[in-house]
Amino acid sequence: MPLDTSAYGLALLRVDGRRWNELRRMHVQIRTQAAADGSSYLEMGHTKVMCVVTGPSEPGPRRGGLGGTASGGGASSAQSKDAEVAVSIVVAGFSSVDRKRPGRGDKRILELQSTISSALAASLHTHLFPHSTISISLHVLSQDGSLLAALINAATLACVDAGIPMTDYVVACTAGSTSTYAANDEAADPLLDLNHQEEQELPGLTVATLGQSDRVAVLVCESRVQVSRLEGMLAVGVDGCKQVREILDRVVRDKGHRMLLEGTVERGVGLDDMEVD
Amino acid sequence: MASTQHALLSPAELAYLHASLSLTPPIRPDGRAANQFRPLAAETGILPGTNGSARICFADGTEAIVGVKAEVERTRRGDGGREDGVEYVSSRLEGDFVEGVSSGEGAIAAVDEADRVGESEWVELSVEIPGARDDDAGTVFLAAMLAEALLAGGEFAKKLWINRRFHWKLYLDILLISPPLSYPLPLLSLTTHLALLATRLPRLKSEGDEDPFFDDDWAAAPYLYARKDGKATARPPVSLLVMAVGNNIIFDPSKEELAVADVALAVSVGEETATTTAAEADEAQQQQQPLGRNLRLLSVRTIDPPSRLTPPGVPNATNSAYGAATTQKQPEARAAESEAVEGVWKAPRGGAKALVMAALVQKALMRGGVADEVLDALDAVDLVA
Repeated sequence: MPLDTSAYGLALLRVDGRRWNELRRMHVQIRTQAAADGSSYLEMGHTKVMCVVTGPSEPGPRRGGLGGTASGGGASSAQSKDAEVAVSIVVAGFSSVDRKRPGRGDKRILELQSTISSALAASLHTHLFPHSTISISLHVLSQDGSLLAALINAATLACVDAGIPMTDYVVACTAGSTSTYAANDEAADPLLDLNHQEEQELPGLTVATLGQSDRVAVLVCESRVQVSRLEGMLAVGVDGCKQVREILDRVVRDKGHRMLLEGTVERGVGLDDMEVD
Repeated sequence: MASTQHALLSPAELAYLHASLSLTPPIRPDGRAANQFRPLAAETGILPGTNGSARICFADGTEAIVGVKAEVERTRRGDGGREDGVEYVSSRLEGDFVEGVSSGEGAIAAVDEADRVGESEWVELSVEIPGARDDDAGTVFLAAMLAEALLAGGEFAKKLWINRRFHWKLYLDILLISPPLSYPLPLLSLTTHLALLATRLPRLKSEGDEDPFFDDDWAAAPYLYARKDGKATARPPVSLLVMAVGNNIIFDPSKEELAVADVALAVSVGEETATTTAAEADEAQQQQQPLGRNLRLLSVRTIDPPSRLTPPGVPNATNSAYGAATTQKQPEARAAESEAVEGVWKAPRGGAKALVMAALVQKALMRGGVADEVLDALDAVDLVA
């Protein structure tokens, strides 16, 4: 069903009732699984993903170990000085409206894997773990647009949970434009956080930044868009990333605070000075 | 092909585990009783986009998610019903009722339960284990075992029957979220069980053999497994993992325990849907029969335990490090053939004895036993679909 964008001009409301600069509801959980080194669960609207991180650990056939062919990107040598970030994405058959089974080695999935792998490898301090592998396994339970952004956010959180040192959160968000490429509308507004329907029809991009800064870690644009509109979209996307970072940071702090209260972890040196609110 | 992965344990560790599991009562590494399941947390209805979904976390941290999706599919001619049924459809479409009656007697009457036919192809089951390819032998074996239990008896496929021309095609996607810390069969089976209990299909509005037309009110959608007073009247099967060590029978073994198993079996159990009247129940009370479910054996599969591929230990008497004379050219080869010495690990050889197999199956089917306990526990889970 084609997206009706004509109504946007009347009330400046999108198909799901949001304004141009509003994120969808984000529900985030960290440390969802006891057996894993790190785990997270993230919902962006109806897009639901789960992430489990194993490692850093010795590579090879071991628990949670990923076959060499199944992993995406990263320096694959066990002898390398930096830890390899191996990402595997499993898209559940029931995740989209119509059930479909993506075959092994789907090019789209491979690209997502290598994008996430290289983005995280740049932020994680991989040089601290030579000859080892950080395996990130992502499960897509439900899809409604902004898949790559949700996967990056979930992977970041799981890495935080696993206690892997990193420079800052890698947070991602999507941005789009209110009219199609063909409409060639100069006055088109940029949009934040596209859902599936919007993603199908409108030009859009996924941007990931390094925490609060304006440093862009990932920029993926798979649709045709006029160059004049790109700047606005990018600005909105980067702004969205800052909002996402706030949400993720709140979740991590809340969880840490709760773990301190429950006595799951020892109160370390300097933690008293840390502002935990 | 070993259907389970290896635990990295030395012969000495294996011997220790085997010895402690062979005691009466057995001492398990995690302190459970022999017939005790791992504690679990379960929830259903986690994915509104599916017809039914469930998630189970075992206490050891393994976690699985199952989603069920249903699609309407046209039944191929000749396999959804008897031949005369197909003729009947065409004749009725022409409005020629008299011929319909003459070709298949009583076919004009409302289709009763007995007329429903199911095909095993109407169910597609896939298992996804992280780190394993989906065409990995172990994964395929797991999926086949789960499907076999579900389709045994053909009762399940009959539920997917809509009319003579259409049926539901049910896709079961089973995802293991955590790394496979133990053989995941019980976890996957229990999660599938819950997801199927929570599965609802839209209510059929059309009648007879018309193109199916459904009620769009999800609240009116009936459960795939009919429920009465919040309890399912019938339920999907569960597959339990049972193993024998020495004279002990141990349920729900962990990976380490499985590594010393003499025999490991996957026993699939279903519940007999016998409706007991109040009088019968009273009678049972008076006869002091143990209360419980009428369990029915659906399938049994032997699991190749990794213990068969473990290296044997070397007794001190033949170990050159302990001063034994090394006259033989190949001391290791001799050690492998040595007789059983107490406290020295020796991989189990040969097949399982029929008596042991019978005992394993009987223990799983026992009234008020483990299967009952598990089904009771799953019954207590609130269904949100």
